[in-house]
Amino acid sequence: MNSILFLILRRLRRPLILIIVCFSIAILGLTLMPGTDNEGRPWHMSIFDAFYVISYTATTIGFGEIPYAYSQSQRLWLTFSIYLTVIPWFYAIGKIITLLQDTALRQAITTERFAHAVKQLQEPFYILCSYGESASVLAKTLDEKGMRVVVIESQQERLNELDLAETYSIIPHLCADAKLPENLIRAGVHHPLCSGVVTLTDNDEVNLTVAVAVKLINPDLPVLARAERDDIAANMASFGTDHIINPYTLFGDQLAMRVHAIGTYILHEWLTDVPGDTLLPPETPPRGRWVVCGYGRFGKSVVENLERENITTTIIEAMPGLTGCDNCIVGSGMEARTLLEADIENAVGIIAGTDNDINNLSIVMTAYELNPKLFVVIRKNRRHNDALFRQFNADITMQPTEIIAHECLAHMIAPLLAQFLSLVRNQSNSWANQLISELVAVVGETVPERWAITVNKDQAPAIIELLNKNISISLHNLTQDPADRNNRLNLVPLLLLRGNVPMLVPPPSTALQPGDRVLFCGIPDARSALNISINNTKALNYIVDGIEVPDAIVWRWLKNKLH
Amino acid sequence: MNLEKVIFGFFIVLAMTLNFGFFLGDIDNPSHHHVYELYAAIVVSLIATVLKFGDRTHVGAILLSTSLAADLQLITAAILWAALDGKMDEASLITYIVSLSGGALMANFVSVILLISETIGQRR
Repeated sequence: MNSILFLILRRLRRPLILIIVCFSIAILGLTLMPGTDNEGRPWHMSIFDAFYVISYTATTIGFGEIPYAYSQSQRLWLTFSIYLTVIPWFYAIGKIITLLQDTALRQAITTERFAHAVKQLQEPFYILCSYGESASVLAKTLDEKGMRVVVIESQQERLNELDLAETYSIIPHLCADAKLPENLIRAGVHHPLCSGVVTLTDNDEVNLTVAVAVKLINPDLPVLARAERDDIAANMASFGTDHIINPYTLFGDQLAMRVHAIGTYILHEWLTDVPGDTLLPPETPPRGRWVVCGYGRFGKSVVENLERENITTTIIEAMPGLTGCDNCIVGSGMEARTLLEADIENAVGIIAGTDNDINNLSIVMTAYELNPKLFVVIRKNRRHNDALFRQFNADITMQPTEIIAHECLAHMIAPLLAQFLSLVRNQSNSWANQLISELVAVVGETVPERWAITVNKDQAPAIIELLNKNISISLHNLTQDPADRNNRLNLVPLLLLRGNVPMLVPPPSTALQPGDRVLFCGIPDARSALNISINNTKALNYIVDGIEVPDAIVWRWLKNKLH
Repeated sequence: MNLEKVIFGFFIVLAMTLNFGFFLGDIDNPSHHHVYELYAAIVVSLIATVLKFGDRTHVGAILLSTSLAADLQLITAAILWAALDGKMDEASLITYIVSLSGGALMANFVSVILLISETIGQRR
């Protein structure tokens, strides 16, 4: 704020001096002009009176001739003074208004305000280095979950969208280039409560620059970055970027998971989706020969994953030379001829994976006419084409935006969740199906909340207190309702991390130890109930032995008397 | 030789000398202290203050603060004069005014010393 004040003062130096000089001349002259009072005695105006008269004259307020009617010479001087003072006065006002409209100054003020707003944040927050399609989904979800977000975006139009969006808490935002380290610092990279930086622009170079800058400025800060090119991803990894998100690899992975372990896939989707949503049961992609249109980054990832599942593919690609595809049918896939050449009639599925939404729709519609039994996977690139894709209703619509947002949420909301999911992938499909049925029985069909607790003095003081008294607390105790211990809370412990050893879906009899980290999923009510039992020793005592321990001295005394 | 420096130094020194001129004389004798001299001291002091605006150096900041201190006391003296003239005996009123201008003189004095020390520092 300091620099802005001095900038204004420096620019106003000339008009201010002009006003002071003109006023002093006018005041001095007015006191020297001879006048007469009401009784005709000679009278000179005092300096204070002259200052008063000139002040209201220069500002064009004009109260008239006070205290007495003026003499001719006083009027003469005042006429001169009017022109002498009014003009500098307006010049100064004009200068102030121009200054306020000055783009450089306004930019300085908004930047300063943004930095101030970030400095004032009292809760943990994430920095989003763009406000594109996936980042806006992410910002909305984090905001709904009560987490604070700070946004830097270089395009003002996108920020206007943020201005109009309804949010629970204020999202400080700045229109600036996130590649510049000073903007990252303003956004709070040094802030002690900053929990991470997320860079999801569709430009890999920008993401790389941001990731590297953040790691150099504050190496301990977690960074989530989007990278589509392998060389960029490798470069990011060498700088210690914590999570590198490639939407195409992720989708390929998920597709493969869908083919060989639908249960694991459902579990994955269910636990990474936005809490409160309902998921439709997904269909299993059929095994057989697939036709893949477009062999770009998306197509390559899909083909690689399908081949790992022993599914044969036929590739259609318009520019085989450019994409490095040796064994493919040349064409765009939009015309029936190419599709017939790929023997679409005997294929079980088609994947339209070009980077043009209209081409993708055209491909699948042509293919659908040739073979209505096809399993259709379509890639959606732009969110504003949503209506078209909903109309078509493909079996799987691949949306990079959503995939990126879900992946980020998994890492940001509960860091243990990412670990849980990677362990789940190594489990069998039937194991996953069993877990799903258990979860659905406890928390219902909607997407549950996921959260983690750490058994320590800050987060679970009641558990620590009882453990210090050598009272054993098991996970089962945490699933009991503090209001009535015979009721079961609608939550399930998914993962217990002791030291660095994970325990997948730990049995209820597991006894807790200080330092344990537990990942839960459940309904929001269960989460707040659990908060009571881990924070309130009395509630936890009741859960453990069914006795309500009197808290206050009087009750304790009464209880001892009665027994 | 820099015209800006000349004007800057001129106003700072003039603010002090005018202030000194007003201050000089018996403290309770109104005929030793002319109102126009106080007026000139205020005007010059204000100009000197504005000239110091926007200087971000450390010396510039101290110069500005001494100037603000002088302005504050001179303007208080002028307000006292305008408000209490004719309402109390002249000798005690002029005592208040002159003692306030004495305070302003000290601030202006510091200002000039800073200016001189900065000039000497530059010579080296």
